[in-house]
Amino acid sequence: MSTRIIPWVEKYRPKRIDEVIGNPEAKKAFVAWLNKWMRGTPSKKALLMYGPPGIGKTSLVYAAAAQYDLELIEANASDVRTSQAIRRRIFRAVTETSLFGKRGKIILLDEVDGISPKEDRGGLQTILELIRISRFPVVLTANDPWDPKLRPLRDQCQLVEFRKIGKRDIIKVLQNICKNEKIECSYQVLSAIADNVRGDLRAAINDLQIISTGKSSISLEDLDILGYRAKQLNMFEVVRQVLTARRPETARMVLSMPSLDYEMLMLWLNENIIYQYWPSIIAIADAYDMLSRADVYLGRIKRKQYWSLLPYVLELMTVGVSSARERPPFKFVKYKFPEKLRMLSRSRNKRERMNSIIRSISKNLHMSSRKILTEVIPYLKIIGDENPSMLRKILKSMNISERSFREIFLTNA
Amino acid sequence: MSIELWVEKYRPQSLDDMVDQEEIVNRLKEFVRDKNLPHLLFVGPPGTGKTTAALCLAHDLYGEVWRDNILELNASDERGIDIIRSRIKEYARTVPLSEIPFKLIILDEADNMTGDAQQALRRTMELYSRTARFILIANYGSKIIEPIQSRCAIFRFQPLPKEHIIERLRYIAEKENVRVTEDGLEAIYEESEGDLRKAINTLQSASAIGEVVNADTVYKALGKVTPGEVREMIEAAVKGDLLSARDKLRSLMYSYGLSGVDVVKLIHREVISGRSFTDIDNYTRATLLDLVGEANYRIVEGADDEIQLNALLAKIALVFSKRS
Repeated sequence: MSTRIIPWVEKYRPKRIDEVIGNPEAKKAFVAWLNKWMRGTPSKKALLMYGPPGIGKTSLVYAAAAQYDLELIEANASDVRTSQAIRRRIFRAVTETSLFGKRGKIILLDEVDGISPKEDRGGLQTILELIRISRFPVVLTANDPWDPKLRPLRDQCQLVEFRKIGKRDIIKVLQNICKNEKIECSYQVLSAIADNVRGDLRAAINDLQIISTGKSSISLEDLDILGYRAKQLNMFEVVRQVLTARRPETARMVLSMPSLDYEMLMLWLNENIIYQYWPSIIAIADAYDMLSRADVYLGRIKRKQYWSLLPYVLELMTVGVSSARERPPFKFVKYKFPEKLRMLSRSRNKRERMNSIIRSISKNLHMSSRKILTEVIPYLKIIGDENPSMLRKILKSMNISERSFREIFLTNA
Repeated sequence: MSIELWVEKYRPQSLDDMVDQEEIVNRLKEFVRDKNLPHLLFVGPPGTGKTTAALCLAHDLYGEVWRDNILELNASDERGIDIIRSRIKEYARTVPLSEIPFKLIILDEADNMTGDAQQALRRTMELYSRTARFILIANYGSKIIEPIQSRCAIFRFQPLPKEHIIERLRYIAEKENVRVTEDGLEAIYEESEGDLRKAINTLQSASAIGEVVNADTVYKALGKVTPGEVREMIEAAVKGDLLSARDKLRSLMYSYGLSGVDVVKLIHREVISGRSFTDIDNYTRATLLDLVGEANYRIVEGADDEIQLNALLAKIALVFSKRS
């Protein structure tokens, strides 16, 4: 049997406290608290570790148990309240010394924020009681400790915060695993995995194991099967992911980004579809067709506040845009910033001057600005090109400066 | 000093000067004699004298001080019904400066207002009906909500008959010492589609091009009315050069200042006239029309101009790439 069947997160779980990656301050606080237990009973008998998932909370307890030679009594917090049997077992465990001589114990209650106060009334009471009677250190973990329902628990615990693991630390861990498993993998790939998981070391190790299953070397393309982890990419990467997606799911994945600015993405796609899909007219036309439909739905949402239509906008602009009937082979394209935004800001001054001229013409001619622009200006331009003195006379009769009119309407700059 | 743009210079000042829309003008003259009038709704195609009739009516009603007794508003220029209402409120508060006990409020392009805005306008009309009369001007009467229609006397302006337009052009040419040929007048009329404003503008720009206004100078002027970028944009799209088509589009929108609808209408004109799409069969032309119409509808409905127009250009490119 292959050793690959063992999950690497288990296989490479740290055996000693100093092998636990990251969070040095949290580790220090935890060890200090544990050392107090070795000398007696600290003022807070329980310690609540909190922070996002996959950053080593549980691993630290495991490593400490191994290093201090403590018997680890572990229960998912929900077990404590549901099964009377488990409850009896743990309650006995926290009050009795170990069967095996004078060995100490450590109690671990995972995920205490998963308790629902409505359905499991008494659950929290049970935990509080457990802390009260325990003769051994009790460690609790939670992702979100500030939930109001946990308040009585917080009062009884020393709080220790754990943070995300830095990208470099994650890459280091992955490099060690690769070396040990004899997998060839470039720094670039590991870096992409690390970006993808956003500080979740457990996820990174799991991802590495999944993509390397049955392989002795992995490349960037193997990463395609990942990505179900919500990630924050910059606009260039988002555009690339949509326009070069080989499967609809890949394009759709950008939607799981927590703060995707979909209106901005629309402008970016509008700018870059041609560059990516050139020279296939079919690809460009199909992609633009889908983008324009997404835009139609967005317009309806804005006009009528039909927010329930938003999924159509999002899906058409990702899955739709990437689903052209044919596509030119992948090429690396340097994407451009939406020219529309640049042009609008660059020509703002010119448009303001243009509008002021149009407004003064409008006052003289009893016509709206729009009609002046489409029904009068074109004729004035012809007159200006062909017969400057006639234009001069016309503009003078309306008190409009000939110079600014020429600057705005008769030069192509 | 009078405005030297001929459409304005030769705009009739009094109802007596108006030669067209005879029946309407006669009814308006009766209002002047009675020194009273209901709210009015002028409906009809562009360039048929609606605004002119409203201004002449004001002139005849108030005499020399007519400018002080009218408020000209343009629904497509004012930002929202609240601005319109506050301007009306401000204006209708004071007593008119004449023996006529009400002021005139001329609201042009009223059919550009949304239904909700029209409902608000209707309440405003009721509120100030003692001190103000409204003249609403629209191209399409059907776009005016019924409660407003029912409060107004509706006048339908007809497209001007050919001989009237030609007569007017000849009169202006004579006053301006411009020589104009028969085929020149024909050409102007053909393109004007009964729109006198367009006809006079064409006459003046053709007269700027050459000594004599003939078919030649008229077509030269007409060819320049549409910005060259429009045709270049279409030609690029037809060839499949979508990047330069997009550049032209952006220059039309961001430096020329045209709205998306303006650009769509210019493309529409090119499709219909056959100036840009030479050598295509009727079915292809109909297909293009449908594409242009869809883009027009979407933009009017509130979609993004540039995205819709880029999509339209890409679809045009696709139509032509299939043919070759």
